[in-house]
Amino acid sequence: MTPKTFHRQVFWLTAAGILVLLISIFFAVSPVNAKPPFQETEKYCLTCHGDSTLSMTLPSGETLSLYVAQDDLDHSLHSIVGIECEACHNNISEYPHPKTEFETKRDLSLAYYQTCEKCHSVNYEKTQDSMHAQAAAAGNANAPVCTDCHGSHDVSPSNEPRSRISVTCAKCHTEIVEPYRQSVHGAALMKDENPDVPVCTTCHGVHNIQDPRTNQFRVDQPEMCAGCHADQNLMDKYGLSADVYNIYKRSWHGVDVSVYKAKWPTIWHDSAVCSDCHGIHDIRATGDPASMVNKENLLATCQKCHPSAGPNWTDAWTGHNEISLERTPFLFYVEKFYGSFTPFILWGCVIYVILQIIRSTVDRVRSNRS
Amino acid sequence: MSGKITNSTPLARQERTFLRFSVGQRWEHAILLLTGLVLLLTGLPQKYRELSISQDLLSNPGQIFLIRQTHHIAAIVLSLLVMVHLARILILMSRRSLPGDLLPTGQDLRDAWHMLQYLLFMRKDKPKFGRYNFEQKVTYWFVFFGIALMGISGFIVWFPVQATQFLPGGVVPAAKLAHSTESVVMAVFIVIWHIYHVHIERLNLSIFTGHLSEKEMRDFHEKEYERLTNRPEEGK
Repeated sequence: MTPKTFHRQVFWLTAAGILVLLISIFFAVSPVNAKPPFQETEKYCLTCHGDSTLSMTLPSGETLSLYVAQDDLDHSLHSIVGIECEACHNNISEYPHPKTEFETKRDLSLAYYQTCEKCHSVNYEKTQDSMHAQAAAAGNANAPVCTDCHGSHDVSPSNEPRSRISVTCAKCHTEIVEPYRQSVHGAALMKDENPDVPVCTTCHGVHNIQDPRTNQFRVDQPEMCAGCHADQNLMDKYGLSADVYNIYKRSWHGVDVSVYKAKWPTIWHDSAVCSDCHGIHDIRATGDPASMVNKENLLATCQKCHPSAGPNWTDAWTGHNEISLERTPFLFYVEKFYGSFTPFILWGCVIYVILQIIRSTVDRVRSNRS
Repeated sequence: MSGKITNSTPLARQERTFLRFSVGQRWEHAILLLTGLVLLLTGLPQKYRELSISQDLLSNPGQIFLIRQTHHIAAIVLSLLVMVHLARILILMSRRSLPGDLLPTGQDLRDAWHMLQYLLFMRKDKPKFGRYNFEQKVTYWFVFFGIALMGISGFIVWFPVQATQFLPGGVVPAAKLAHSTESVVMAVFIVIWHIYHVHIERLNLSIFTGHLSEKEMRDFHEKEYERLTNRPEEGK
């Protein structure tokens, strides 16, 4: 063997070795990434908690089921990304477990939901400013916490399908869901999973849900509705006018509301906002016989604020329409008249006075000369 | 002061003054001026509410209430004035003693045409006017109909529910637009047309003093001057 062939052998051997090493590294690493994260404790915990009869009795007398269904975990957003039981049950790390001190099932929920904050701090903080947190602070133990809306072991996307959001809220807000379901928005959502109509959270917000009965919420309302109803593309899709908000803003009601909104948002005022005439959860299409603003019902709606209004009154309301000969003839002719009368008077006066100034100046100069 | 020529001593001929407006008419003008100004100043901030000066005026709900209240009170005063004015006309008419000086005539059209030719250097002489020239008649009738319109539209928007008991609903938004627009047209007219004629062309304070001097009468109301001075009983 010459030194030259020896060197060639060493080279090939080294190359082959590197290749084998790379291949083995590839095979060693890639399966770990492809498979779901390894759930060590989940499997361990379920050796006991997979028993559907496992339960305990709380001091309140309630029976607390300790069963965790594998099926729930399979659909949970957490389990598949490797978040394990003790991420939330952070006081339990060994067996036997430390003794629980929860009086009721609700106590248990109220204690465990706080672990959501560890990962979801932004949304958790928001909920602390919400109407629900205020209710809780006022002593309502049933005020919802994270798990009441999102679920616990089966936590899954809250907006799939979209109608699920409204179904979730309806768990507590039972009286509101029915009018909503029959409204133009709710029907489109519940029946057709319409992607555009507002669900509860569209108007009320998600985590920092505020009291909708405040003056601030009231004056902000027209702008909120305008979020969709002033969107030309969206309104075109449903054959609706996108000018309603701009015309409202120029109306008697809209002017009042805008002044209050700009200056005194916390002072109550009676000028109508959208929901006063159209309804809140029960908004109907204007052509719907049950709509509050349907021609048949309009006077009764006006009379809520203008009790002595007579049958002619509804024509005083121009709706959210531009001036037109067919709909508002008086307004049409007044506008037409001033369209020419105003410039006629303005320019007539200006030209006449300028001519007089010129003529009298010329006369004066001439008489001074002579 | 009761006669139209108030001086009888021939020595002071150059001091002769002519009664133009009675005390009642001067009061009418003063109240009209005051209420009109108040109505304009309290109305404009409501019309142009987005301007910063309006925002300052309407700085709290109490201010809005105050401004509206002031507008309404001035409107009532002006309405009473209009009634007094109309009542006076009716009384004079019933006595067959209403002077027709302010009524528009064909002579006014000829005077206006004459004036236009004069202003365009097509004639050298100004038209000769009577007691009220066509410019003054235009002022009176413009304000007359303007106030009528402002009053009617103003009361409709002030009492819309009552108005629609007997009027079609469509008049309410129309009245609002008319009230809002006519106010500005009137303001423009008064500022340009009237202020020019009584302050800049010449300072004519007869609506406050009640009198015109003899020179003013000769220069601006020549026909009236001739009519008054050539009356047989004045004969010189």
